[in-house]
Amino acid sequence: MTQQVPEQLHAVFREIPGIRVQHDSERRVRVTLRADTLPALLELLKGRGGYLHLSAISCVEWPESDEFELVYHLWSYESKMMVSAHIRIPRDPGRFISVYDIHSPAGFFERDIHEMYGVFFDGAPDMGKFILTEWDGPPPMRKDFSTLGYVNDTYEWQPYQPEWLQQAEQKGARVLPQEGPDGPLRKTR
Amino acid sequence: MRPENYKPVKHPPSEEYDLYFGPNHPGIEGNYALKVRLSGDEVQHVRADGGYLHRGFEKLMEERLWIQNIALVPRICVPDPVPMEETYSRAVEILGQIEVPERAQWIRTLCLEMSRVTAHLFYFGGHAATMGMYSNMFWGVSDRDRVLDLFEELTGARVYHMYTTPGGVRRDIPEGFLQRLSETLDYLETRLPEFDDLFFANPVVENRARGAGPMSPEQALEWGVTGPNLRACGLPFDLRRDDPYLVYDQLEFDIPTRSEGDAYARTMVRREELIQSIYILRQVIARLPSVKGPIRAPLPNPLAWNLPHGDAYTRTESSKGELGFFVVSNGGTRPWRVHVRGPSQMHAVQVLEQITVGQRLEDVAQIMFSLDACPPEVDR
Repeated sequence: MTQQVPEQLHAVFREIPGIRVQHDSERRVRVTLRADTLPALLELLKGRGGYLHLSAISCVEWPESDEFELVYHLWSYESKMMVSAHIRIPRDPGRFISVYDIHSPAGFFERDIHEMYGVFFDGAPDMGKFILTEWDGPPPMRKDFSTLGYVNDTYEWQPYQPEWLQQAEQKGARVLPQEGPDGPLRKTR
Repeated sequence: MRPENYKPVKHPPSEEYDLYFGPNHPGIEGNYALKVRLSGDEVQHVRADGGYLHRGFEKLMEERLWIQNIALVPRICVPDPVPMEETYSRAVEILGQIEVPERAQWIRTLCLEMSRVTAHLFYFGGHAATMGMYSNMFWGVSDRDRVLDLFEELTGARVYHMYTTPGGVRRDIPEGFLQRLSETLDYLETRLPEFDDLFFANPVVENRARGAGPMSPEQALEWGVTGPNLRACGLPFDLRRDDPYLVYDQLEFDIPTRSEGDAYARTMVRREELIQSIYILRQVIARLPSVKGPIRAPLPNPLAWNLPHGDAYTRTESSKGELGFFVVSNGGTRPWRVHVRGPSQMHAVQVLEQITVGQRLEDVAQIMFSLDACPPEVDR
């Protein structure tokens, strides 16, 4: 069920060329727009619509189209509505402009996306590492980074048959099959 | 807050020194560190340093079935796990267009408020501990345990309940549970005056906490502060009222606010919220027996769910502020992407770096705790 977008929002959206608006539930508006028009939308929403609160910036990777989708979730404390603005940027070179000047919470989210996906935000106050301080590998949230592959490359399989496990098996406990060539194995460093 | 006879000592720049504050200290519910630059005992500059509790939940969730993730999500925030299950489940329900039965909605509300009570009791104890008042810490933790006992009875687990699932809840309320919950609430109400004597109305606490880590309403809005920390600045915003979910639109409650925006105001707002949560729980106890029906929507085999292509952003008012889950499905048996937006991602990083500047070193732990920042939520 598509609902009527409030006039105030509609006036903002009219200023953005090529914007597609979906209003499916009472307090949620989903818009899809060209990446270069996003800062203008955020400015207009903040100035005219009262969308002061940047709730989050989410990054989604789409390897088939070789793109990153960035989603800016904005909340208005006045009209109690949430606008989620979806844009797509090419995966290579994976650069976009920072919106820190408009919404300062963007600083954390952009730093996080840079760390986890390798997207660089021009003009962001800090693109330094925060969580993965000692990590030199590829951005780990990318789809081509396999956690299991990393474990297999980094650690060695070793047999693990402690006494308690053998006793439990003798009593008929069902042990889940483990990966490895000869029965129960555990990864150790 | 400085004593009346405090005289600041001006140090030359060479007197400034760095202190690595953490990762184990009483100022926070988990491991987290601050790089503090000090002149004398006055904080000049702060940089947050996280990552001690990074377990890669967002990546792990992409490799597990929709239902398996229920076992992962409560672990994202230890002191307040129920909102995590609730927010994730609600996102899955929107994607799968699942209607939650009314009885399940009431039970979920009950769990959310019980979780808020435990988190706030934990907070009272923790905030007191940062000032060296350990009696109050033991009280807070032991009273929280009484509610955890009820959680154990209801869900089988004390902290990681895995009780809220997409489509409803895992099991119904045991017989006599509401009576026992009611008695526990009575007990907590009788405890509140004692907490007042020891902690909230204690002049030592007031002197220490007043003026510590203040922020103005404008700053709070600018920095993305949410939840009780925002309400302590005088802004009455609460997602349970503004963006209602479950049955909150049928419940009566006040949104307590304070105007000072300092550590004391943040603590007092949480004290009032505890009273409001007890009030909400009493309404649920009165109403729940008359709400009959199933506790789960009829769903196919959960190990074979394929959710349609789409995305959903759901939010819950957790005890710490606005908790959001952005869940994307590409039509498969596993989430394509789950993004967790924890309230502490703002409070423990950018906000903390700003409000501790100019404060005294001995207040840093207190300011951190007064924001109720939860590092597991930041690191995920």
